[in-house]
Amino acid sequence: MFVKSRKWIGMSSTIAVLAGQFLIMHVSVAAGSSVIEEGKAIAFDRKKGNCLACHMITGGNLPGNIAPPLIAMKGRYTNKEDLRKQIWDPTIANPESSMPPFGKHEVLTKAELDKVVEFIWSL
Amino acid sequence: MISNLMKAKNREFFRMQIKSMLKIVSLALLLGFGLATQAEQTAAPAADPKIAKAQQMIDDADKARKKAASVESEWRDTGKMIKMAKEALKKGDSVKAMQLAAKAHKQGVLGYQQAMAQKDQGTPSYLKY
Amino acid sequence: MKKIIQSLALLALSGSIAISAQATTPEEDLAAFQNFFKNRFPGVPMEEYTNGVYSIDPIGRENWEAIEEFPPYEPFIDEGQSMWETPFANGKTYKDCFPDGPSIKGKFPYWDKQQGMVITLPLAINQCREANGEKPLKYKKGPINNILSYIAYESRGQATNVVVPEDDPKALEAYEAGKKFYYTRRGQLNFSCANCHLQNAGMKIRSDILSPALGHTTHFPVYRSKWGTVGTLHRRFTGCNKQVRAKPFKAHGEQYRNLEYFLTYMSNGLPLNGPGARK
Repeated sequence: MFVKSRKWIGMSSTIAVLAGQFLIMHVSVAAGSSVIEEGKAIAFDRKKGNCLACHMITGGNLPGNIAPPLIAMKGRYTNKEDLRKQIWDPTIANPESSMPPFGKHEVLTKAELDKVVEFIWSL
Repeated sequence: MISNLMKAKNREFFRMQIKSMLKIVSLALLLGFGLATQAEQTAAPAADPKIAKAQQMIDDADKARKKAASVESEWRDTGKMIKMAKEALKKGDSVKAMQLAAKAHKQGVLGYQQAMAQKDQGTPSYLKY
Repeated sequence: MKKIIQSLALLALSGSIAISAQATTPEEDLAAFQNFFKNRFPGVPMEEYTNGVYSIDPIGRENWEAIEEFPPYEPFIDEGQSMWETPFANGKTYKDCFPDGPSIKGKFPYWDKQQGMVITLPLAINQCREANGEKPLKYKKGPINNILSYIAYESRGQATNVVVPEDDPKALEAYEAGKKFYYTRRGQLNFSCANCHLQNAGMKIRSDILSPALGHTTHFPVYRSKWGTVGTLHRRFTGCNKQVRAKPFKAHGEQYRNLEYFLTYMSNGLPLNGPGARK
């Protein structure tokens, strides 16, 4: 996907970008808590994740109650990838889910989605 | 996506050829008036292949937007993105124009897919008959 | 082998039966729609749904009742009355178009066989104006809300009674198109009207309670505190579509006309109580 949207840059710069992504990822693994904080900011942002519109999340004000509270996530999803898939497009698991497909419809960028996953997974 | 890109590249190639021919003709004409240097200056930015590419991407995005609209599934910001892409291109920022056009194109495709996926959908299961 | 073919044929047959069973009549839709709310909010009497979210939100209701003490839409009714009474440049008035007026809201929307389309009240008002050489009014904001407020006020107590006439299959098509629109997810956020106002009616989105779809059409035009003025039903449709990040449709264009036709039908039997006040 990175490659797709950046085709016009040319191969060498694409590689540079990818290398940069790896670097960022590397750093983020080391500094886990700051990625979680960034994910939290995106999750709480009304124009981004806006998770509080429907989910109760510890530390968030005035949550909605349309969807289940986001607690004990590691008990509800066996791994992070499953959680990521759910946020990417919840209608795969349940066609009548009201939740927006944050990844599929590009409400969040891939990088933003990854950070949100880190944050939700930490709950 | 890839075949579109190929098509775009082909079109771009022909456009480039025509442009360079025009450039030679106009250059020759203007040389006669002793304005060669000035002509070089004005012709140079038009030769930027990114501009033609950006224009092509904007046109493609608008097609995708219209296709989504034809099934009543155009998204709110797609038209705005295309407008912004056009403005960016006018200002010579072809990179920004291409980014916006790519995003708008994707929205058009997704909007169309969204409608198609629900084409034969009945009433929801929570409504009991 | 023969058995397999037979069972396959049977399967195909049962499949087609299941599909045809899905085609429901407007009457069946109405029963299912209203029963949904009866089951979800068993203590709420039918008529209460005309009060929108305040039928199920006791805290919001207190505020609303205080607002209704001095209705913010009152000046609009008065303005509308003078519009109704002021002759057009040709000397005629709205009364010439609507002899039963001004209490005519209960007749709208209706299927017009001749024009082959759903006629909404705002559309009829503009057709009247244009027939008399007047400029049509804008459909979302401005003076159209005055005349609509006046007509709605004068029509209070009439029952919602939308008819899908059986002598014109196009009427049912328009109804079905409106129904399809209602259940179709739209926009980047992928919401249908039904996701919020049926499936999740009564739930909280942030601190706001999602209003029930039943009764949505009875109280328009509506003074909305958020707007600071009175606005039309199609202005509200536009806002909803924008919120889910879908491109809104033209006010009183085909999509919204058919949507109004279906949605109003779903409130059949409920009394009209416009203009209303909402936050």
